[in-house]
Amino acid sequence: MDTCYRNDSGTTCFLYSQDHQNVGLTGREPLVFLPAPFSNEPPTGKVHLKQCEQMTLARRQKRLCRREPGLAETLRESVRLSLLECRYQFRNERWNCSLDGRGSLLKRGFKETAFLLAVSSAALSHALAKACSSGRMERCTCDDSPGIQHREAWQWGVCGDNLKYSTKFLKKFLGQKRVSKDLRAQIDSHNINVGIRAVKSGLKTTCKCHGVSGSCAVRTCWKQLSPFHDTGRLLKFRYDTALRVLSVTNAATGETELAGPRRHGQSHRSTDLVFLEDSPSFCRPSRYSPGTAGRSCAKDTSCQSLCCGRGYNTAMHLTTLSCHCQVRWCCHVECQTCVREEEVYTCKNT
Amino acid sequence: MHTSLAMNPLLIPEAYIIGAQPLCSQLVGLSQGQKKLCQLYQDHMQYIGEGAKTGIRECQYQFRHRRWNCSTVDNSSVFGRVMQIGSRETAFTYAISAAGVVNAVSRACREGELSSCGCSRAARPKDLPRDWLWGGCGDNLNYGYRFSKEFVDAREREKSYAKGSFESARLMMNLHNNEAGRRTVSDLAHVSCKCHGVSGSCSLKTCWLQLADFRKVGETLKEKYDSAASMKLNSRGKLVQRDSKFNPPTSHDLVYIESSPDYCLSNQSTGSLGTVGRLCNKTSEGMDGCELMCCGRGYDQYKAQIVERCHCKFHWCCYVKCKRCTKTVDQFVCK
Repeated sequence: MDTCYRNDSGTTCFLYSQDHQNVGLTGREPLVFLPAPFSNEPPTGKVHLKQCEQMTLARRQKRLCRREPGLAETLRESVRLSLLECRYQFRNERWNCSLDGRGSLLKRGFKETAFLLAVSSAALSHALAKACSSGRMERCTCDDSPGIQHREAWQWGVCGDNLKYSTKFLKKFLGQKRVSKDLRAQIDSHNINVGIRAVKSGLKTTCKCHGVSGSCAVRTCWKQLSPFHDTGRLLKFRYDTALRVLSVTNAATGETELAGPRRHGQSHRSTDLVFLEDSPSFCRPSRYSPGTAGRSCAKDTSCQSLCCGRGYNTAMHLTTLSCHCQVRWCCHVECQTCVREEEVYTCKNT
Repeated sequence: MHTSLAMNPLLIPEAYIIGAQPLCSQLVGLSQGQKKLCQLYQDHMQYIGEGAKTGIRECQYQFRHRRWNCSTVDNSSVFGRVMQIGSRETAFTYAISAAGVVNAVSRACREGELSSCGCSRAARPKDLPRDWLWGGCGDNLNYGYRFSKEFVDAREREKSYAKGSFESARLMMNLHNNEAGRRTVSDLAHVSCKCHGVSGSCSLKTCWLQLADFRKVGETLKEKYDSAASMKLNSRGKLVQRDSKFNPPTSHDLVYIESSPDYCLSNQSTGSLGTVGRLCNKTSEGMDGCELMCCGRGYDQYKAQIVERCHCKFHWCCYVKCKRCTKTVDQFVCK
């Protein structure tokens, strides 16, 4: 179900779900001024109320945002994180995660839509967990799962990333409790869970030994999230192995469930991304993407597939880089800048 | 030249009789200058035809996965109307035909088929080690290059067009691409050696100049096709780049003056046969994948029987015997 309304940045539409599960995806958020990474002071006063109003959220989400001062910044950080990661993972593909055509893409059930949902929810989950452990949120602090005593954690100065709070909060925020029987809603909910699970699978226990002369007689351990690049890489792998599904009514229970062609004996696992229809080739400009004309490519590897057989143009480009670096005592590195001419290849547009 | 020579030996079987040469006046599609050269060098004509055919074969191999697959429109004209537009594909066909002629004539010289040339008399390369012998009988690249230049370019040179007209642009483009094809062959020629010392050791080595395998020439020209430069006429009547921020083309690069038509649908005026009925590869993401090859029209799936050799065994002495197996595969054909 679509609900659209006007605000001063244009018309914003929330797509296909009343529960507004796709925070930060429609591309109409003011990403022009992407927020810089966090400053280290906790949020003060009523600044966050204005930020909550500026973002395109549902009423329930706005309420949660107002209650929690650090949430607005965290949301913006997660949008930035997901955009950067998506662009990085798809830098050599025909669809390079551009913001043009994002709205139309989200209306369909392509593999790219599945990836977008998964990476956004993973970024949100990651950012929330990190915000908790960095002390930027008021309602959560370090990870307090059994086995790590709170007081001892603070004594030694370690603070695990609080994924448990993050997952619980996300369920409330994205409204996943009520999933309608609609096929698209089921698929979207499944893909969002894939994103959250990907972050969960990256949670590792890290230990530090600080016994007598550095031995491991005394250890402090905490849970730490893997860097978001690893999660992004995992989600890209899931995108490459995504499965196509359709809706099937279970004769025994009378409920509809997702089913697809069988692979390894099961139709799809809870860690697979699923999609409804085959993607178009993003070669020519269409309403889903601006096409591959003008994309920069590497001559021996990616130009063939990126340029879709149209060939490429060669231009010379001056690049500056640091060279002849030396260590000066004490203790900084001084580098000179060298200017180098190198060939840059861009896809032709006819 | 291309319109007739490559198909000639098929229609005039006397050409295969040793000693008989095709009559120059019977060859359709030669220009005036080329007819004169034909009468002067009658024994070369057979090799020119072979060279053009090699060029076509290589072109069809290199483009087998693309929408335009270098197919001939009908039997009488090899490249048909594709040559009427100055597109990238035309540039490639001119270059590969010129390269094919160089190849064929140089080889023919080496094999002693032509009376006016013999083994290569190229100078010894400077970087060859001292105790290697230079001699042998190499492909006469020099002669092949010069002959191809004279013969193939004769058609372009004998006409003169008004400065700044479309035909003059086309003429310059053709000359440039012919030269690019010839230079590719000459660049890829390499030194090849044979050891013939005591019991086959390499204490004695003889080296000579050898032309590269034509497949390599095809691959190099295909890369040039991908990076070809788009040109236009400037006010002085010379070909210049359309967009000056890109690198200017060297004499080894291909140039073109018009953008390629969409080869998806059959179109008489552009010479495109369309992609209806082409085989496509369902799993590929490249140009031969069903999505791009069929231009979004969709495809049909058929089961086809393929006969191939299997269970091959080596028998003493010395042949290999194979059985024939049939297997059923899925084939996808564009709608």
